Amino acid sequence: MIYLLLFAGLFMGWSLGTNDAANAFGTAVATRVVKYRTAVIIIAVLVIVGAFIGGANNIDKVAELSTSNEVIASESQVLEAIKNGVVETLRLKSAIKAAIIFTCAALTVFVMSYLKFPVSANQSITGAIIGWGLFYADYKDPEILAVNLPQIGKFASTWILNPLGAGIISFILVYLFHKFIENKFSSLSHYDKIVKIGYLFAGAFASYSIGVNSSANVTALYYDAAFSKTGVAANLLTDARVAATIGGIAIAIGVLTYSKRVMMTVGGSIADISQMDGFLVIIAMALTVVIMGKWMGIPVSTSQAVVGAVVGAGLTRGLHTVNFGVFKNIAIAWVSSPTVAGLLAYGIAFATQNYSNN
Amino acid sequence: MFNHKTKNNPVHMLIMDQINDVENCLIQFESFVRASSAPNVSFDTLNTLANGISDAEAVADISLRKMIDSLSGSSFLTATRQDLISIATGCDAVANKCESYAKMSVVQSFVFPGEYSEDLLNIISISREQFDVLRKSISLLFSDFGGLLKDHSILDEIRKYESQVDAIEESLYERIFKMDITLAEKMQMSDFADKIAELSDIIENLADKIQIMLVTRKA
Repeated sequence: MIYLLLFAGLFMGWSLGTNDAANAFGTAVATRVVKYRTAVIIIAVLVIVGAFIGGANNIDKVAELSTSNEVIASESQVLEAIKNGVVETLRLKSAIKAAIIFTCAALTVFVMSYLKFPVSANQSITGAIIGWGLFYADYKDPEILAVNLPQIGKFASTWILNPLGAGIISFILVYLFHKFIENKFSSLSHYDKIVKIGYLFAGAFASYSIGVNSSANVTALYYDAAFSKTGVAANLLTDARVAATIGGIAIAIGVLTYSKRVMMTVGGSIADISQMDGFLVIIAMALTVVIMGKWMGIPVSTSQAVVGAVVGAGLTRGLHTVNFGVFKNIAIAWVSSPTVAGLLAYGIAFATQNYSNN
Repeated sequence: MFNHKTKNNPVHMLIMDQINDVENCLIQFESFVRASSAPNVSFDTLNTLANGISDAEAVADISLRKMIDSLSGSSFLTATRQDLISIATGCDAVANKCESYAKMSVVQSFVFPGEYSEDLLNIISISREQFDVLRKSISLLFSDFGGLLKDHSILDEIRKYESQVDAIEESLYERIFKMDITLAEKMQMSDFADKIAELSDIIENLADKIQIMLVTRKA
């Protein structure tokens, strides 16, 4: 029965799949460069491969953030529970807390989408973890501060560094392509072939990066980071790679079952960039997500990276090509997604404090 | 770099065939207008020439359909297929316009007064040169696409021809409406003049289509 609580995370993974797939293949599918069926199969497979190969690292990092914010039980808490013979209770509480965090993130995504504000699911989850920690974690404790403050700092800095990095990479890619490759095409059919291969490569790479980056957000909260030391399962999952792969599978199911509508909408909305820019933007997004995820150690928003990359591509033609008006809405999403989710988590932590303390 | 044969070559060949067939229509149309300017030309002669244009137009239609059919076996992207069809049907409109002018001219037993023949033939001659530049730019899509992406000033040449036609057309209208004939006759003449000048407009529109095609593909 306790494993039913895993469905909250898996549902979030499904939701990530329905949305993030658009960032990998939206433009290619909307402009009919790649068939929808081909796109979803590539995404599903590579998201799982990415999660399996590279997701474990992010699982550890999210688990570390979750532990310091009192969402996941720490090693000392598990040892104490073993001593008191209440490991099963601790396990149940951990799974319930994870489900609460996911519910807060899902509610945020639902309400903000309903209000037609752009929203980031990845950021909502991290925001909810921090919101929970702000209620429970002892922020006066220097050890907690030493872990949490840099993490929160990193989290906030990705709002700038993630799109900025994607913008710079995208600018360089588009500029180099324009300068050295574009005029080498012998014919229209060649151009088409490069575009097709480019989109397939970019989409596949982006799918892999989504697997590496986002799978942790699906199952890390169910992961017992202390298991290797305690040898007793104090949460639902005890192997980081298995946890990441389950996250990847949940995302893949979202891609396979319900991604078409979002893919066509998102793809159509950015299809006014050229076909070449389109796949270079996706490569820039994927590179940024992988680099930032590795560097920062927390899952970053693929949507933020796409926006930065589109702007970077536009800047190769001058400042006048960039519609700075769109930044207002995007900035709202970047700040409000984690803030709303954090406030919700804080509120629920306050409302359920008696249960948690017992 | 990036130079090898593909299964898209038949499309290239067929679109160039179609352009040649449309050009044949233009050549026959020029003969028709030249003949109609000759003194004492018989309508039997004009009818025969008009039928020749219709036959040439029918051949161009067949080429167009072959080209469109060949796209289904090509590896061109959907957007490119749509663009190529749009360009080919645009070229076909040139042939249609020639046929329509000749037919209406015969049906209405209409010939321009001799003093206008030089201007009309001049418009057709400019349109033919313009069409030839269009043919080169379409060929570049298949032989030096990168070069065309970098420098598409060849399309500006097409537009310059259209400006020349505009100037001649304008002076034609002025002269027509100063003539001492009924308004109905003036309208009929200006309508025929407009039909001839439209050839250049169609070719210019095709240049615009090619430019849009390039802009949407430029990184």
